[in-house]
Amino acid sequence: MEGFVAWLIITLIKILVILAVVLGVGAYLTLLERKVAAHIQRRPGPMVVGWHGLLQPLADGLKLLTKEDLFPRYGNKFLYNLALVMALVPATLVFAVIPFGPEFELFGIKIKPMLTDVNIGILLVFALGSMAVFSIALAGWASNSKYALIGSMRKAGIIVSYEVVITFAVMGPIILAGTLSTYDIVQKQIDQKLWYIWLQPIAFVVYMFAMLAETGRVPFDVQEAEAELVTGFTVEYGGMKFGLFPLVEWYIEVLSLSAIAVVLFLGGWSPINIPFLGFLDPLFFLGPLSPFVWFILKVSLLFLFVLWLHWTLPRYRIDQIAETAWKVMLPLTFVNLVFTAIIAPLIWR
Amino acid sequence: MVKRVFERPLSWIERIFFIDFIRGLSITIRHAFRRTITTHYPYEKLVPPKRFRGFFGHKVVDGKEPQPAFDEWVERFKIKVEVGKSRCVVCMLCKRACPVPQLFEIEGEKLPDGRRRVSVFNMNMMLCTFCGFCVDACPVDCLFQSDIHETASYTRRDAVLNLEILEKIGRDWQRRREEEPDRIWIDDKNRERLWYENSVKLPEVKR
Repeated sequence: MEGFVAWLIITLIKILVILAVVLGVGAYLTLLERKVAAHIQRRPGPMVVGWHGLLQPLADGLKLLTKEDLFPRYGNKFLYNLALVMALVPATLVFAVIPFGPEFELFGIKIKPMLTDVNIGILLVFALGSMAVFSIALAGWASNSKYALIGSMRKAGIIVSYEVVITFAVMGPIILAGTLSTYDIVQKQIDQKLWYIWLQPIAFVVYMFAMLAETGRVPFDVQEAEAELVTGFTVEYGGMKFGLFPLVEWYIEVLSLSAIAVVLFLGGWSPINIPFLGFLDPLFFLGPLSPFVWFILKVSLLFLFVLWLHWTLPRYRIDQIAETAWKVMLPLTFVNLVFTAIIAPLIWR
Repeated sequence: MVKRVFERPLSWIERIFFIDFIRGLSITIRHAFRRTITTHYPYEKLVPPKRFRGFFGHKVVDGKEPQPAFDEWVERFKIKVEVGKSRCVVCMLCKRACPVPQLFEIEGEKLPDGRRRVSVFNMNMMLCTFCGFCVDACPVDCLFQSDIHETASYTRRDAVLNLEILEKIGRDWQRRREEEPDRIWIDDKNRERLWYENSVKLPEVKR
């Protein structure tokens, strides 16, 4: 009984911490994105609200919350609101299976810094990821607008193509680790003294592309395409309902998918890896905190890389995107899969 | 004959290693760590070049009128010259040069001593295209365009410049910028911030 109560309390604390961190960080990533975009275009970005615009996300949130809630005529109210829930919930649920660090002991209780260590973690992530297509299709359909529908159909087309690609891309690391649990994948990488990016560079590149496509980042942002469609499927949403979609799609999903990329390819919380030899930890002085810092560092670097790409590249055409997915990426992942299957026994040892 | 021009296709090396992506990324990262080149507008303002075509003004009599034109026009129209008042000689050349002449409302008055002076000079800025023809037409260097470009107003009435405002703008201009050398890019710290990379040295202007 005591064990159950302790487990319940620990789990509740974990849920609160993860939700607070994810949503808070998600809000502040809007500021980060605006700053990065501005500096790439040699502007200072938001500067007025707070020191260097540090309170800007709060001001934006306040503005969005106090706005009038408009609803399009002849839209479907139930689906319209359901789309919001369908967007937010799966995206945040992904964080349930992301391991932020190694198991540690606090007051004699062993705690894994992740919500649940389910043995099908990766499968869960991609199942939840494919729920995103429903939210987008519903948002476009329920708002009874041409632009929204075009945007949502484009996005749905892209997600359907890239879901296949991303699933085959992560197959490589899964074969090498021999498990679907995210915690065990990282543990295997540490045991084998090998980040899987060294053996799976193709899969990593394909994963990055698919991640950009799934989250609607440049060069695959045809569903938003501010020059053609106004903002895609979010046109008919107002106030915080509008604010939620970009927050989920551009920040929370990018964050969760980069965390998954770090888990699969970059060795989770492990420090810098020299293949097959060991790990080099320049942050050893942080002691037991070092793995957490490494994980956060890797995720934020990956996120910054995505931002950097976003503000560099132009947009692909929708047919080019689908073509890349089916004609280039998918065969590449197949080749990668065969290659992995051949070398996997060497790694297992 | 139509000449066909193709873009150079990417080589396989470039395609496999994303060379063009990397090239673009390197450009953006280099820009990201350079200094920003913007001004924080409501808090910092750029001084426009002296030739900027902004709101209009009347230069006032201060002994620097273009001679002998000013004296000739004063003689012809028997204008009463007062130091610190508008140089206007009510010749109406500005109104004739204007593509939208109805924006000018110019009237002169006869004083008891028989001399004349300008009494009404209204310019309706709602109609103005800021072409500067009136400035070119002015024979006594009275009407000119200042560097005032923040011209929003709460009512349409405020967009009409009357003689008082024009003289005020003129006095202000003569105090601030009359002595400045006439060049397109003046030696302005803020403006140099926009152009510091090419660090072009403008030749010294002889006064």
